[in-house]
Amino acid sequence: MSSLTLTPTNALASALNSSRSSVAIAVLDGLSIAHVAARKGQSAALAARVKELFGVTLSQTPRIATGSNVSFVWAGPDQWLAMARADTNPDFERDLRGKLEGLASVADQTDARALATVRGPNARHVLAKGVPIDLHPKAFPAGSAAITHASHIGVLMWLSEADDTFTLACPRSYASSFWNWLTESAVEFSPAVGE
Amino acid sequence: MSASQTNRITGKGLIDRRKPLRFTFDGKSYDGFQGDTLASALLANGVVLTGRSFKYHRARGILSAGSEEPNAIVELRAGARREPNTRATMIELFPGLEAHSQNRWPSLKYDVLSINSLLSPVFVAGFYYKTFMWPSAMWEKLYEPMIRRAAGLGRASDEADPDTYDKSNAFCDVLVVGGGAAGLMAALTAGRAGARVIVCDEHFDLGGRLLSETQLVDGKPAHDWVRAAVAELRAMPEVQILTRTSVFGAYDTGTFAAVERVADHLPKPGVHQPRQRLWRIIAKQCVLAAGATERPIVFGNNDLPGVMLASAVRTYINRFGVMPGKTAVIFANNDEAATTARDLATVGVRVAAIVDSRPQPSAAVRDAAKTTGARLVSGVVADAKGRIAVKGARIVPAAGEAFDVSCDLIAVSGGYNPNVQLTTHQNGRPQWNETLAAFLPGSSPKGMTVVGSAKGTFSLPDCLAEGAQAGAAAATAAGFSAHVPQVPKAEAESYGVVPMWRVKEAKHKAFVDFQNDVAASDIDLAEREGYRSVEHVKRYTTLGMATDQGKTANVNGLAILAALTGKSIPETGITSARPPYSPVSIGALAGHHRGKEFKATRLPPSYYWAKEQGAVMVEAGLWMRPQYFPRAGETDWLETVTREVKTTRSAAGICDVSTLGKIEIQGADAGTFLDRVYINMFSTLGVGKARYGMMLREDGIVLDDGTTARFAQDRFFMTTTTVNAVKVMQHLEFCHQWHWPELDVQMASATDQWAQYSVAGPRSRELLAKLVDAPFDISNEGFPYMAVAEITVCNGIRARIYRLSFSGELAYEIGVPARYGDSLIRALMAAGQEFGALCYGTEALGVMRIEKGHVGGPEINGTTTAADLGLGKMASTKKDFIGRVLAGREGLKDPSRPALVGFRPVDRSARLRSGSHLLPKDAGNFASNDQGYLTSVAYSPMNGHWVGLGLLSNAASRMGEIVRAYDPVRNGDTLVEVVSPVFFDPEGERLRV
Repeated sequence: MSSLTLTPTNALASALNSSRSSVAIAVLDGLSIAHVAARKGQSAALAARVKELFGVTLSQTPRIATGSNVSFVWAGPDQWLAMARADTNPDFERDLRGKLEGLASVADQTDARALATVRGPNARHVLAKGVPIDLHPKAFPAGSAAITHASHIGVLMWLSEADDTFTLACPRSYASSFWNWLTESAVEFSPAVGE
Repeated sequence: MSASQTNRITGKGLIDRRKPLRFTFDGKSYDGFQGDTLASALLANGVVLTGRSFKYHRARGILSAGSEEPNAIVELRAGARREPNTRATMIELFPGLEAHSQNRWPSLKYDVLSINSLLSPVFVAGFYYKTFMWPSAMWEKLYEPMIRRAAGLGRASDEADPDTYDKSNAFCDVLVVGGGAAGLMAALTAGRAGARVIVCDEHFDLGGRLLSETQLVDGKPAHDWVRAAVAELRAMPEVQILTRTSVFGAYDTGTFAAVERVADHLPKPGVHQPRQRLWRIIAKQCVLAAGATERPIVFGNNDLPGVMLASAVRTYINRFGVMPGKTAVIFANNDEAATTARDLATVGVRVAAIVDSRPQPSAAVRDAAKTTGARLVSGVVADAKGRIAVKGARIVPAAGEAFDVSCDLIAVSGGYNPNVQLTTHQNGRPQWNETLAAFLPGSSPKGMTVVGSAKGTFSLPDCLAEGAQAGAAAATAAGFSAHVPQVPKAEAESYGVVPMWRVKEAKHKAFVDFQNDVAASDIDLAEREGYRSVEHVKRYTTLGMATDQGKTANVNGLAILAALTGKSIPETGITSARPPYSPVSIGALAGHHRGKEFKATRLPPSYYWAKEQGAVMVEAGLWMRPQYFPRAGETDWLETVTREVKTTRSAAGICDVSTLGKIEIQGADAGTFLDRVYINMFSTLGVGKARYGMMLREDGIVLDDGTTARFAQDRFFMTTTTVNAVKVMQHLEFCHQWHWPELDVQMASATDQWAQYSVAGPRSRELLAKLVDAPFDISNEGFPYMAVAEITVCNGIRARIYRLSFSGELAYEIGVPARYGDSLIRALMAAGQEFGALCYGTEALGVMRIEKGHVGGPEINGTTTAADLGLGKMASTKKDFIGRVLAGREGLKDPSRPALVGFRPVDRSARLRSGSHLLPKDAGNFASNDQGYLTSVAYSPMNGHWVGLGLLSNAASRMGEIVRAYDPVRNGDTLVEVVSPVFFDPEGERLRV
């Protein structure tokens, strides 16, 4: 069997990605997410294990670290949200729990959060309408993360290392209010919106 | 140029004559130009009368050219966008602009209520307190509506605001407030150093006074220098310029509030364009260059249209190319008289007289009088003459007889008040400066530097230098390497102010606060009646309390008070300026948060399905939960709820309980941790089991209750009540981080992770059996009461199942990952169809828990102990736990403390009301007889009558006693019997079948 894998693309998603709009908003789905918290006294061992397993250096500051298949975004002291593609990691939480046995407590968060991405030249202007932290590239460079709020709704957010895309994760039950705020904040800039 | 613009000066001003605009004022059409304000366009058309005053309905015109305007207050636009109390001096002209004068009836010129002026002895200071006192009943019905109609401040639209408002956060190294000479220099200097700079100016163009004066900067007209400076700023990527933006508040740690009038200058906002935007600006440093406001002088009839601040006169001439009159008298106590005379003469206005109140007019004024041919008088203007516009001035020279001069314009300058307001928002107290006769900034908020005329620096070269220095210092303080540049050259200006607060020779009413119609005589009266503190005088006379916040009035008022009381001005003191600096619309403060978006809403997983079923929703905190599911033919909620209870207890009922707080608690010490936060033991709980737990606050009062399950030796799953989910999570985090950091415990909120449904009723097992995947054994033996398991349902979907019951029936809770929540409710309903299952809401949930005597929010209400709730025996004596010690306080163990008990009406048809007070049967309804109250009541379908839970003194010894349930709010007075709080299945047999 070939070691190369093929991934499908969606035609309209591709159109969204190449949109000329000054801001593009998209629903981000298809991730498995788990909360990983170091067991007492196991931070160093956990970091070593994660490095060995995923090639990721866990950040002790609010940042996202991305490995080949898994990203770890800082979610508090000695806590991270681990994310991987759901289609290839359907049992992500249990797999992680097994792999990190004794080093970390793992809790499934796949369904606990609703995720959206915002990108484009006006992304920061849109986000500034609800996010009360400084998102200027000097203050929030690529790879930064923050636990903050958007229009009074708690969010964990980060700026991807690879491209200028912000991802915001809000509690699932707030999704409707969050989306209303986000789209209303963007409408001034004629956003491209997609799933 | 339009023929109608009779006062427009050819070739003068910064307006765009290629863009004529048509507008209406009081229904009459006029023409103006792009770059005009409504005020300048009205003056260009010879309109001087713009409104009637608040109390006396006196004729008023345009006093100023800025945000301090107290007189030219108009209603702008029509229909849903009609906005009262807008300042004509701040409204930019747009095509089709429609404005109306305020406070006049039937017309501006013939205002019937100007008779109030004749009645002015009635309307003196404090008239509210004196005149309309008796009888008190008439206040609400007659006096207040009458006064409100007569003393209106315009009419707000009755329709919903069609526009959207926006909020935004901004961060910068240096915030520059005010884009005049000093502000521009500060911004340029900081910007050149690479700092992130935000420049805010309340006007639509940067430049401040430089747009209004004829001075040269670096040998060029000042506005040319402004244009170059703005162009340089615009080219800097880290500089943001916010025009039409008023910084109205200075808050802690460099936080500022500003409102940007994004689309107020347009006929209506563009598609998806917000009308206004509220900015929260976080600045490391702030340079306050807010300028200064010219003071009027208090003389007779000083409110007549045609009396105008001298700086405004120059602004209308130089910036807008408008002649504000044909013959002018200038009345000043400083050298602004000279500049004003020159500018007037240059455009052909005859300067009839310069009246200088100083003991000796300065050389500059003497020189200007000579150049302009004006008669120079050392003395005062005692009264303006005219009925609805200035026709002349009565001049009283220092030596000699009073005489009249004909004129249609009186240009007044009483000196300048530096705009220090933002320095006082953090308790800074302005300091009086005798030389400048003005309050200067005292202490400023940390990181704020005040420059230019806001600091009392009134000469242009000094303003430019101060701005440059402050800009460099601010950028340096923010971590940049900045240097003070060469400052452009400008000519020094003289000022030489000598106070002249009040013209004692005035024969007519002399106004201090124009907008609130407060005259000097009102301050006299207040002082005579004993109001001698500046704070008292403010409130008694309403001085400075209008929407202009007394920008042109406060200092004059307190100087007059100081003279009356024989105190100095610093002894008299000044009232505090508080945010907002200028009016802010409520819409801007609300932003996106209006209507249904006022607060965030949380939707449970079955929300959309429940809406399809026609469920009636109820707000439970932020959650929208189904309250009940009415069916066709049902006449009221009670009928629906009764059916839901009966069906659940006879067949099966499903309820979305996803809103309960859920917390994953893991780690080697998780059991120990739970032992310390719960009153009962959890470390002994077997894997695969759940237990009901109660936790206390530190003071021994119950914090919350719920069940916690154990899925592995080191993995627990806690549930909390819906309302306390966040509070409990905070409590646990606090306990772990602060009390016991040594414990190996990790927590994660899972409230949103799981869609969880209660499936209750005798058929619930059969129903769920259709969903659970083999080999799970759901039989009573395989999965007994209080068992929990991790299973799969519906062919492989991960699920957690709990055999718990809140209803008292055989019941389960089934949880699946939340994305399957909508699907699961549909699957449960489909599976339940053959059993007659239904879905019930929070009402039936409440009825069933009351029937079972389970405590809920009304009982766990922040005042009750575990013992009060009949759960004292749950507390373990083998361990310590939070709240144990303080729960043992004498008062909390007092047996007479009200404790939980049940009640049923003696007359079984009587309705009970929660909140009813419990009194001994034959005792009077006095507070001293109060022995407790009904906390929760419900009509019990299983008993066929109302039942209640309540807290009653000495409850344990009073079973069977009849007491009074007295409800003065709804006129209820019912005899009730004290009974067990468990009204249904007291042995709990239905749970375990």
